[in-house]
Amino acid sequence: MVVSSVDRCLRVFAQRVSVAMLLAITLLSSGTASARTEENLATGLTRFALASGSPEQSLVYARNLSGYPGAWLKAQALMALGQTNEARILLQRLIEGEHQRGAAALALARIALDEGEETEAQQRFQIAADAGYGEVRQQALYELAELERRAGHRDRAGRILSAMEAGYWAALGYMNLAADYSKRDLNPARALVALRVALAMSEHDTISERSSNLRSQLLVRAGYLSYQNEEYEKAIGFLEQVPLESYHTPRALYFHGLALTARDKHRAAMQSWHRAKKYPLAYPGVQDTWLGMGRGYDLSGYLGQAGEAYLAANASYEGERVTLRNLASQIQRDGAWKTLVQDARDFEAQWFLADSRTLTQPRMAYLLRFMEDPAAQDAVGKVSDLARVEALLEEKANNLQVFRSSLKNRLATRAKLASSYSESFLARLAILRGRIEGLRDKTGRPVHLETLNRFARILQDIEASLTLLGDRLANRDARLEHLLQKTDAFLARIQVLRSRAASLRARAESKLDDLALAFVNKHDDRMAHALDKTEQQIAHLYEYLALESLERGGP
Amino acid sequence: MFAAEQVTGPAPIRRRYELTTIFLVVLSYTLLASTPAAADELDEDISQLRADVASLAGEVFALEEDILHPADSQVTVFLTLARKDALTLHSVELYVDDTPVASHLYTGREFAALQQGGVQQLYTGNLPHGDHVLRAVLTARAANNRYVRRESSHQFRKRPGEFRIQMSLEARAPDYEPQISFREWK
Repeated sequence: MVVSSVDRCLRVFAQRVSVAMLLAITLLSSGTASARTEENLATGLTRFALASGSPEQSLVYARNLSGYPGAWLKAQALMALGQTNEARILLQRLIEGEHQRGAAALALARIALDEGEETEAQQRFQIAADAGYGEVRQQALYELAELERRAGHRDRAGRILSAMEAGYWAALGYMNLAADYSKRDLNPARALVALRVALAMSEHDTISERSSNLRSQLLVRAGYLSYQNEEYEKAIGFLEQVPLESYHTPRALYFHGLALTARDKHRAAMQSWHRAKKYPLAYPGVQDTWLGMGRGYDLSGYLGQAGEAYLAANASYEGERVTLRNLASQIQRDGAWKTLVQDARDFEAQWFLADSRTLTQPRMAYLLRFMEDPAAQDAVGKVSDLARVEALLEEKANNLQVFRSSLKNRLATRAKLASSYSESFLARLAILRGRIEGLRDKTGRPVHLETLNRFARILQDIEASLTLLGDRLANRDARLEHLLQKTDAFLARIQVLRSRAASLRARAESKLDDLALAFVNKHDDRMAHALDKTEQQIAHLYEYLALESLERGGP
Repeated sequence: MFAAEQVTGPAPIRRRYELTTIFLVVLSYTLLASTPAAADELDEDISQLRADVASLAGEVFALEEDILHPADSQVTVFLTLARKDALTLHSVELYVDDTPVASHLYTGREFAALQQGGVQQLYTGNLPHGDHVLRAVLTARAANNRYVRRESSHQFRKRPGEFRIQMSLEARAPDYEPQISFREWK
């Protein structure tokens, strides 16, 4: 009897324990699931903010993230903000983990390369090549090949490139190798082979715009090398494949004309040059096409037209020098950032003209040429970053000023007592509840009943809010005061940051101005040199014509 | 007959030349040495400023959320892609009770981020308790290269506390008809 009661007690106890454990496990698992949902949401928000160019915002979302995707996204945001020291710690942790090892090693290697640590960069690139997949692995292999090439080990670079998959990075590697060969070899055969391989590799690039741009560049280089090697038909073949809307088209047209001239096809050559003349003189090759036109007429025996072409070239170079002088004085007056970058950006062209203006507008042409220089890219990037920071700070300051006045207004209006609110609302709630009950008695239709139930639930929600209203109203002023203090503190911090940003921007802009003025002066010298050449040609022509007329016994 | 020309000026003048040369060498060395250092300093200063601005932006964001969207009346709408290759999203417009509240045109990078599991916070605002209608209008290119514009509505009841709605897009073969599903998170 005693045994059975003890047994029953034990069974009841065991049942209760199991129910309690089940409850605990359910609560724990629901808590874990909820935490996981929050983590997934924060990860997704971070990823999107990063993609939409808001690294500051992505850091806000990523602040509580832990584990692999969070660390990787946080590291990317930090790198986008230039905080490489903080990013380095996260990337190092990722390399030692299981996920994104390749991408993290690649990012670390790039940081090391920027800092001039080539040995460390090489080790990191090797890890990225071993641990990475797809684009990451290809980029790492390309960088390894580049390190070898720059160190003068072209064979080792070639071996690395030969192990790569066909695509953009391999094509880029072969193009650089071809540039090295063309500088060192007297015969361009090796360089042309490397360029042909690069062309074949570039066809496998899945990003069409990038692939098309690289292909145009490769074709121009191959065309030029073939021309230099006196393989004119081959050169014409390469150059005719360059698309007409490419950035490299003016240069390709110039070389195309040269190759045709070498085959004594002056008329066809002049057609190519006539087309190239339509592009701004900033592009390489265009300035020579103006001279080429005169030379073409000269070689075809049309001396009068040759003279006219040389005079037209002269006028065009003079005009360009005026443009360059204006550009230089505008840079001195308004700064290079406004003159070259902002004004080019603000040009209000219709969308259907946008493509043609990119290549035919002189200012845009100079901007594109200027931006070919890595130092210019760096200088423009710095000013652009600081302009973005200034705009962000201004926006935040404006918002906080609005909040500040709104908070002050709310503090100035005294809140009524919670009881006075609650009593009237509760009375109205009771009336509405009564009406719902009355309607419920009158109808039996399920649709009506469902609607009435929904109304009843809404009234329940409102009542729940009303019960909390008392506490919220009691804390209202203290809370508003606290928010106002925080707003004022932030406004003061923003003021300090704005003055720091302004002073840094002035420094960065002055550096950019120096680079832009040097660039404009260089182009002015180029034009002056071209002007000398046309004047010499005109002098030769007139000298020849005078001698001819003397020989004919004319006046 | 013609001797090699030699510099034979008086000693003080020569010393002056020497001093000038030394000065120029030192100056050029200083300039060469100081240019990268100045650039590094500028880089360092910009990097420090960006770190400070990022930290401030985070704190101001929290304050803005605190002031603008009290948790009791807050409603947030998120957008996700349920199937990543189903459609190429061009734009989304969002209406709450027939009032336009948000619209977005997608860049390639943003769409790629959505494909990789990114979540866009499309709208955050305040709504009173009770019934509301959320309407979404999307334009996209479906997987079968068709241009599509679709509308979808969702009725919800705003309850006390923070309220979140997840909008999820998908389009299934064979007709790739875009569908928007709504999920409420309490």
